[in-house]
Amino acid sequence: MNQTVFAPWEDPAAKPLIQFKNVTKRYGDFTAIDNQSFDIYEQEFFALLGPSGCGKTTMMRMLAGFETPTEGTILLGGEDIAPIPPNKRAVNMMFQSYALFPHLSIWENIAFGLRRDKKPNDEIQARVEEMLKLTRLTQFAKRKPHQISGGQRQRVALARSLAKAPKLLLLDEPLGALDAKLRQDTQFELMDIQEKTGTTFVIVTHDQEEAMTVASRVAVMDHGQIIQAAPPAQIYEAPNSVYVADFIGDVTIIEGAVTAKDNGYDIAFAEGQSVYAESTLNLTNGQTGYIAIRPEKVAISSEKPERVRNAVQGKIIDIAYLGNLSTYYVELPNGQTVKSQTANTRRLSRRSFTWEDEVWLSWTDTAGILLER
Amino acid sequence: MRRAVLILVPYLWLLALFLVPFLIVLKISLSDTAIAIPPYTPTLDFSAGWQGIREFFSELDFENFIFLTEDDLYWKAYLSSLKIAVVATFLTLLVGYPMAYGMANAAEHWRPTLMMLIILPFWTSFLIRVYSWMGILSTEGYLNQFLMGIGVISEPLVILNTNIAVYIGIVYTYLPFMILPIYSALERLDGSLLEAAEDLGCSRLSAFWLVTIPLSKGGIIAGCFLVFIPTLGEFVIPSLLGGSETLMIGKVLWEEFFNNRDWPVASAVAVILLLILIIPIVLFQRNEQKQREAEG
Repeated sequence: MNQTVFAPWEDPAAKPLIQFKNVTKRYGDFTAIDNQSFDIYEQEFFALLGPSGCGKTTMMRMLAGFETPTEGTILLGGEDIAPIPPNKRAVNMMFQSYALFPHLSIWENIAFGLRRDKKPNDEIQARVEEMLKLTRLTQFAKRKPHQISGGQRQRVALARSLAKAPKLLLLDEPLGALDAKLRQDTQFELMDIQEKTGTTFVIVTHDQEEAMTVASRVAVMDHGQIIQAAPPAQIYEAPNSVYVADFIGDVTIIEGAVTAKDNGYDIAFAEGQSVYAESTLNLTNGQTGYIAIRPEKVAISSEKPERVRNAVQGKIIDIAYLGNLSTYYVELPNGQTVKSQTANTRRLSRRSFTWEDEVWLSWTDTAGILLER
Repeated sequence: MRRAVLILVPYLWLLALFLVPFLIVLKISLSDTAIAIPPYTPTLDFSAGWQGIREFFSELDFENFIFLTEDDLYWKAYLSSLKIAVVATFLTLLVGYPMAYGMANAAEHWRPTLMMLIILPFWTSFLIRVYSWMGILSTEGYLNQFLMGIGVISEPLVILNTNIAVYIGIVYTYLPFMILPIYSALERLDGSLLEAAEDLGCSRLSAFWLVTIPLSKGGIIAGCFLVFIPTLGEFVIPSLLGGSETLMIGKVLWEEFFNNRDWPVASAVAVILLLILIIPIVLFQRNEQKQREAEG
């Protein structure tokens, strides 16, 4: 079977749905968005991820029309959307608080946008029924928002914002108010609905797991800038900076002067000690480099492993037991902590390592990612 | 046990300060006038024993209530009060809603100040404030002086001692009772609801009609009742600012009581007034309860 991978951002002929062109947004002295240019393609599930205050919400509100860029233009389907007020845009938003109208029933909430378009009654009827079915809410149609659960409210908000079949759907922390278990189910439901409707979704979240699960591309933001926008696997396996590596998942960062060797570099992180990482980066000898190593790629053993170039010895200072996994915090003689994660395939009582044990950590030549900054 | 005591306290309060006085008024309304102290008969005489109590009850009758239906002054006064109360409540709403809206949308740090300004007039005696309106509205008053001074009018406007002055007085006096419940409803309104309405295709104006007004409905209803109920029996404002054309039941009641010294008829007027007021009071309570349930 020939399955094409969905990656329009790699196809130079693909036409983006949304284009940010040198967009800057300032509030007085504060720059919320700093000269950003990027594209979002049709049918994408695009996640804006970052800590609070990084500008992700501002980005979304500019798309919805509640904020206008200070400089630059935003194009939707090739058309500048700056002069179009929010009520005339083919963009709908799902609010973080859901913003369901408490005085209207679920049915009326979903019909609200359709009614504003002065659509014929039977058409509204049909569309609302369709939306209720899509979000499995048919039996709650007559209830008021305060008479249903949080998860159901979240689905009403989604149905309401999808009812007008927008070109672009914005989701502001859509799952933030749900508990962990429900959130997981809902994430898959969101992806399902996105696939079924073929709508372009832009989601704002501070939850990296959520972004990684649902998105086709994740844009990691900091201080009003997109640091890296790439598919989840690439963000995780090939971060472009220490910030992204550190923000996504668990990581050990080792800093040191680089020396070119074989297909990569040696990084001298302590007196006479160095580790090696393959890299295509072009660095000058003596420059500071950073190696980012994911804990699950670091093996832990009591004896020095053979035939491995990267092996360091240290003492276990902490163990984070997560049930299925354990993360060992190993301190090297120079004070550097390296994390190693293993699956707990055996019972806890048979665990081989404990606090204060001297252990060896090792990883392959390609496990560490060399970063310039 | 503790619960019973807790519930008992408000009930005793109501019994002592509402039900007992009401029963006394009801009893007087069923009595006849007399030139005596107190100016009505019969009075309950326990010294005569069982016989005295029987005689006492046999002398009570509905004569005064029948009298109220015979003289058209009374039902005209009730109707006129009702009309004035309805119009005044509506006018207060028209003035109060924009003020409450403005307050709720003002910058956060301004709100306590604005709230203070709304409450501030209560620090002066109500009577003095109504008197000062006489100084403003009379033919030689500040308003006429000002208007004639800037040349808008050449003859002074006759406002004092007309229904217009009564409306001005009522709107002025009861405005805070309208503003505060509406303000508290509007302040609780989640701003993202208006954004959601706009996002779904509403203009600013239609978002106001479809979201803001329905969601402040509870406050509007509460405010209207808080103005309507006391206005219906209002006595000070019509007697100070109103004229001979102003017919309000509160004024009639006062005159029966103090000028005619006819306590039984005055009491009958009061009982009827209370019966009329019970309807809006019950509706008001129901509105409050519905509101609580909706939030609960």
